[in-house]
Amino acid sequence: MTNQDKIKHLYWRAGFGLSLSELENRKNWSISKAVQTLLAEAKNPSPISVNENISINYDDLPMDEQEMSPIVKKGIAARLQNVMWIERMANPQHSPLLERMSLFWHGHFACIAKSPKTAVQQLNVIRQHALGNFKDLVLAIAKDPAMIRFLNNQQNKKNSPNENFARELMELFTIGRGNYTENDIKEAARAFTGWTSNRLGEFVFRYRQHDYGQKTFMGKTGDLDGEDIIDIILEKPETAQFICTKIYRYFVNHEVDKNRVRQLANQFYNSNYNIEQIMQSIFQSDWFYEAQNIGTKIKSPVELVAGMMRSIEVQFQSPLALLFVQKALGQMLYKPPSVAGWAGGKQWIDNSTLMLRLNLVAYLFQEAELNFRVKDEFESQRRGRAQRKIQATVDLSKITRKMKNLSDSEIIDELVNLLLARPNFSKKEFIQTNSSSYSKEDFIKRAVLQIMSLPEYQLC
Amino acid sequence: MKRRNFLKTSGLASTAMLVPSFLQGFPTFGQSRTGKTLVVIQLSGGNDGLNTIVPYQNDWYYKLRPSLGIDKNQVLKISDDLGLNPALQGLRNLYDNGDLCILNSVGYPNPDRSHFRSMDIWHTASDSSEYLSTGWLGRYLDSNCLGCNNVHHALEVDDSLSLALKGKNRKGFAASKPQRLKRTIERPFLQALTQQQHDQEHENVAYLYKTLIDTQSSANYLFEKARVHDSIIDYPKSGLAKDLKQIAELMTADADIKVYYATLGGFDTHAFQERKHGRLLQEYSEAVTAFVKDLKQNNLFKDTLIMTFSEFGRRVEQNGSGGTDHGTANNVFLMGGQLKKAGFYNAAPNLADLDQGDLKYQIDFRNIYASILDNWLDTSAASILGSEFRGLDLVNP
Repeated sequence: MTNQDKIKHLYWRAGFGLSLSELENRKNWSISKAVQTLLAEAKNPSPISVNENISINYDDLPMDEQEMSPIVKKGIAARLQNVMWIERMANPQHSPLLERMSLFWHGHFACIAKSPKTAVQQLNVIRQHALGNFKDLVLAIAKDPAMIRFLNNQQNKKNSPNENFARELMELFTIGRGNYTENDIKEAARAFTGWTSNRLGEFVFRYRQHDYGQKTFMGKTGDLDGEDIIDIILEKPETAQFICTKIYRYFVNHEVDKNRVRQLANQFYNSNYNIEQIMQSIFQSDWFYEAQNIGTKIKSPVELVAGMMRSIEVQFQSPLALLFVQKALGQMLYKPPSVAGWAGGKQWIDNSTLMLRLNLVAYLFQEAELNFRVKDEFESQRRGRAQRKIQATVDLSKITRKMKNLSDSEIIDELVNLLLARPNFSKKEFIQTNSSSYSKEDFIKRAVLQIMSLPEYQLC
Repeated sequence: MKRRNFLKTSGLASTAMLVPSFLQGFPTFGQSRTGKTLVVIQLSGGNDGLNTIVPYQNDWYYKLRPSLGIDKNQVLKISDDLGLNPALQGLRNLYDNGDLCILNSVGYPNPDRSHFRSMDIWHTASDSSEYLSTGWLGRYLDSNCLGCNNVHHALEVDDSLSLALKGKNRKGFAASKPQRLKRTIERPFLQALTQQQHDQEHENVAYLYKTLIDTQSSANYLFEKARVHDSIIDYPKSGLAKDLKQIAELMTADADIKVYYATLGGFDTHAFQERKHGRLLQEYSEAVTAFVKDLKQNNLFKDTLIMTFSEFGRRVEQNGSGGTDHGTANNVFLMGGQLKKAGFYNAAPNLADLDQGDLKYQIDFRNIYASILDNWLDTSAASILGSEFRGLDLVNP
């Protein structure tokens, strides 16, 4: 494993890969310097805003903002905030680790918001705490209007408790199954009564709906409220274990190494749930860079697309094209399948998604014929049309400028190094581009097309 | 045999698991016709069961649906208290022939009224408080059933694959049209890729190559099978009819496929329901009628079971926009040549005993799945659904 391989690995897992200039710039950095830089860049997260970019220049905006009805505006806002976020993941100007952590927590606190406004509000809450303290994050999510509505906590009242939020808080967000009783759920639900939101999309505590009675939760008795419940859950080491297992599976390896996770969990617990510290430990550990962890994770659709946008500067001409790709590949930002989030791993892959993934770059280069109909929305009244094209441009000019004076085999070496996360790729002779019949530009384009069509490109 | 080299050296799974069934020594072809075929038709959006199977003698029905209730004189009466939506003439003939079984009030405890969630519950056969990432037919594929090593054992006629057909280790196969699928595998680079030798690789690399090889083989297989037989039945022009025609042609060509899956969407009728709903039911009824006729003509209907479901029914009371909102229990249709009990399986829903305006379920849908798994797909339902769901007496094994 060369230092460069390690840097690439770090940036694939802590971010969305590296562009050519980033790779040039960082390949000789020590891991410690790279990790410090990643952490420093992630400080002071800037929020994503819906309104500031409604004027973003996309061809398919149907009309001026003034002419749009509220429903049209809402639909466009939803599309734009999706696209904005992916563009941040792809854009070297933004902190890759912040976007990566936000994506992780976005899948962890999976929520389908009723409106684009509350969806982005929730994402900003996540961004604010993505590398902060886990308790602050959980508490902020418990007070988040989108989550409150999604898990029916606005219906959780003293005289008619609703257990939905309390159940998912424990089962999916903090401690995991097997560590609480049905009675714990009932008592926790009582503690969160009155935690609701108003019409402006703000958290409010309605004390008339709150149950001030005595409750017994996980062995503790008193007039517990929601924050007490979260404190008690986090006092259990099982919570640190549950979260670290999930972090390990996401950032390190889908197959869990129990000893390592136990060590991480101890550290997470003893640091009082400091997320930044635990991420730093992982990224600076030796085992993070062991061969079985490098280039072995199946990229999620969003990772795949953001990585492509970063490395070959894909520009989607229309937000719809980017949404089509997400939907067809099974991961639409802001639309997790359920509160349990995306399953990940091999579950991303079936015959349909694999062929789309392997052909995706060919579609972007307009080099293969696309004909794919995504499943209709439940609300749609008629069968949608098949997508015949992905409106996008690819800019290889920087790569070409850098590589045009190299020999063919050097070009392939450089491109493999730039595009594949797995080291020691053994099939270089397989990239057949028949150089005599192509200009250098075309040769580079063919090689990029082929390398990014390899199954190996699906891994990071 | 460079490909075999790769498969052998990958050392991650037995060679038999990695090689597409075409290349395996033992025969799996031709077995399907000695067995049975399941066809699942999904009505997406929440079909209004009460305006599909109409309780035309029920005063509550007309009271709660003053304008949306279907006039008694127009209902196609098939029992003393229940009749079909007038758009379902084709279904009436199936009913009269004893080819149709209607189950009323099918649902599950603590029903969820979100399309996504309720559809996931039907697909995964989970409890409403439980989240599974595998589907009931996917777990059937995982169960090492006879022929499950064949990657197109369960075929969804669509460009993408539904959760119902995703297992942990095995997945169903998605193909809307074999020609269309074939085009996705045709790039020479991808063809060449799987002809090459591959080194010892990580499990996930092997998995991706295996899926690619399987997809190429199955795409070619389906393409060839789809050309064998052109149906002589006159199908309507609708999307569902085209999908069912495709299925009938593959079945007639003796394709090695056990489970087919097709979808008709558009049932989310919150407003101006009457015309839309009638049009959808007519599309469904005409497509299914042609399909059954086709299967009968080819002597396949006796070995076919068709199940139709929707993620939920709709609220009993109509809303203010001439439509209905999301509800709970609903009817399920079974069609086939081996029904134990043709006609109505159980009594009409009780409209006088509602749960906050919605029907109470009488049959858990997982009991229907259990019968299909045990008696039609010859596997153990308990291992796929859990032992608490026992089969109903629905089909002759």
